[in-house]
Amino acid sequence: MTVQTRPTHRRSAASPDYLILIALLAVGIVLPYFMDSRYAMSQLTLFLIWATVVSQWNIVMGFAGIFSLAQLVLFAVGGYTAAILGKYFGTDMFLGTLLGGAAAVCASLLIGFACLRLRGIYVALLTFAIAQAAFLLINSDTNCIIGSGQTCQTLTGGPRGLSQFGDYGFRQLLGRNYIVGNYYVALTALALAVTFSIVIVRGPLGFAFKALRDNETVAVCSGINRYKYQLLVFAFSAFFTGIAGGVYAAHFKVIGPSVLGFPLLAFLVSMLVVGGLGRLWGPVVGAALLMLVDEQLKEFTEYRNLGLGAIIIFFIVLLPDGVAGMIERVSKKFRGQLGEKQGHWGRWRTRLGMPMGNKLHKQSSANS
Amino acid sequence: METAVLVILGGLTLGGMYALSAIGLSLIWGALGMLNMAHGALLAIGSYACFAIFTYLGISLIFAVPLAMIAGGIVGLAIYVVIVRHMFRHPSFETNIIIATIGLAIVSENLILRFFGAYPYKQPLSIQGGFRIGEIFVPYQNLIILACSSVLVAIVGVLLQNTRMGRAIRATAMNKDAALLMGVPIGRVYAQVMVFSGCLAAVSGIMLSTITTLSPTMGDSPMIKAFIIVAVAGLGNVYGAFYVAIGLGVLEAVFQYGIGVRFAFPALLLLVIVSLIWRPYGFFGSKTVVRN
Repeated sequence: MTVQTRPTHRRSAASPDYLILIALLAVGIVLPYFMDSRYAMSQLTLFLIWATVVSQWNIVMGFAGIFSLAQLVLFAVGGYTAAILGKYFGTDMFLGTLLGGAAAVCASLLIGFACLRLRGIYVALLTFAIAQAAFLLINSDTNCIIGSGQTCQTLTGGPRGLSQFGDYGFRQLLGRNYIVGNYYVALTALALAVTFSIVIVRGPLGFAFKALRDNETVAVCSGINRYKYQLLVFAFSAFFTGIAGGVYAAHFKVIGPSVLGFPLLAFLVSMLVVGGLGRLWGPVVGAALLMLVDEQLKEFTEYRNLGLGAIIIFFIVLLPDGVAGMIERVSKKFRGQLGEKQGHWGRWRTRLGMPMGNKLHKQSSANS
Repeated sequence: METAVLVILGGLTLGGMYALSAIGLSLIWGALGMLNMAHGALLAIGSYACFAIFTYLGISLIFAVPLAMIAGGIVGLAIYVVIVRHMFRHPSFETNIIIATIGLAIVSENLILRFFGAYPYKQPLSIQGGFRIGEIFVPYQNLIILACSSVLVAIVGVLLQNTRMGRAIRATAMNKDAALLMGVPIGRVYAQVMVFSGCLAAVSGIMLSTITTLSPTMGDSPMIKAFIIVAVAGLGNVYGAFYVAIGLGVLEAVFQYGIGVRFAFPALLLLVIVSLIWRPYGFFGSKTVVRN
């Protein structure tokens, strides 16, 4: 197979991403002035939190090639750290959130040291098992650290979770509109996380991972250490994921083992898949779409998970690049790049997720 | 002495259950390189099918079990036709199929919940009674589970080693492209493996539900154990999976006795991670079967 020279416009493609980020940020900043419903603000904040988590998960899974199913463990570590510090030591929630991020980094290094030496499918398996073990450990927590009997308080709160550990204190500052304060904290977290994503994806690390994906032997011979780079990305993305966990705990003033449960995992995976795994803006698009759909289906709660599962299957089978990939292809078609190479039928095949042959597909994925 | 016998018996029962859930998974993973996150759902589907055929259709258990197996096979075939067929040529098949089967697991769990509700029904196929070793009561059910899992393992092993179909499956597992060039119809092999694994999962599910109760999520926890077992045993080695299942079952029982039920699974997981770092291809796996 011929080695394709990398198109030179890739590097300059960084600037549109920053422009999009600034534009979205501007919209995000002015949005609260047009919203008067507290429920809508709360849902928007939740969207920002999930978008943060999913954007980092996307970096780990879609770009670094770490098939981790333990992203929500890192989220839970962040949230529980902030909550435990706030409850037992009276730590300020801002500080608690940052420490939650740091704790998530430590957890990710532990998981990374253990799992990242293994390849693809084993990582998926072990991280899934770790998530399950964490869920079981929290759910069966019965060792009282304060009091006993009726007043028993376990470290993690067991199946009921932790509550009454404080919040960001916007209630004193903003009164009724305190949710707007939480909203801006979450917006800051998302902005930082997305900036980090852009730096990773469009920077040298992104090229290193691309090289590893396209031709591993050549990449390794050029001195790219997969384990080291994966660990690095895993740890950094854990920081933002942990922070998202802290923001979640402070916003809802409660955190429980349900954040490690299967429904939430499914919800976030469907965001990833619908948005487009391995696409920079996929997670934000996916999180927005899924939150909207979820909102519409509020009346049919018993069919919610069924619908989520169906959405996941539909997208991963027919549209593996997700909505972001679709947008990319449509915009490329307008620029007339893809059309010349594949012809009408080929375009259809790719759109349906059925590449014609290995070679052709590799080419189209190198272009995207 | 008493406790030692108790722990070992408990461990053997656990091991038999794990082996049961690991067989279908090991087959599918070895042949297709596919981590089937819907395996737990297949276990549940099999046992609910047996329950429904017996209770609602009033068909005797002698026919209900084979019918449930057929149902499991049909579901396996459906998974192949609807999902796997469109995906296995994709370069990131290994990862995409995990996501797809997560979706599938959610769908089928919720469908079961719709149809049967969350009531913990009892599997009609169960044998009461048992015998005593000294002071310890040994239920027949536990022995049947152990026997059933060894018989199934032997059947799968013979099928893989001694039949034309088994040879095609092994060839596909070793090198998909080479097998295709040698005239192995890969699509059909995949379909066969999926059907076969669906049947096995149905039997496993029925056996598992005889000592617990039916629930839509009954397959989740056995599935995770089965993943671990298959990873430790090495890809696609069905006999290896059986030995590891028994070993890990006994080990878990020892941990449960030694450090408490709560920490048994995390301790086991730690041990598994260490052993996987030490032997990344598993204890019975060979490097040739590992796909990249």
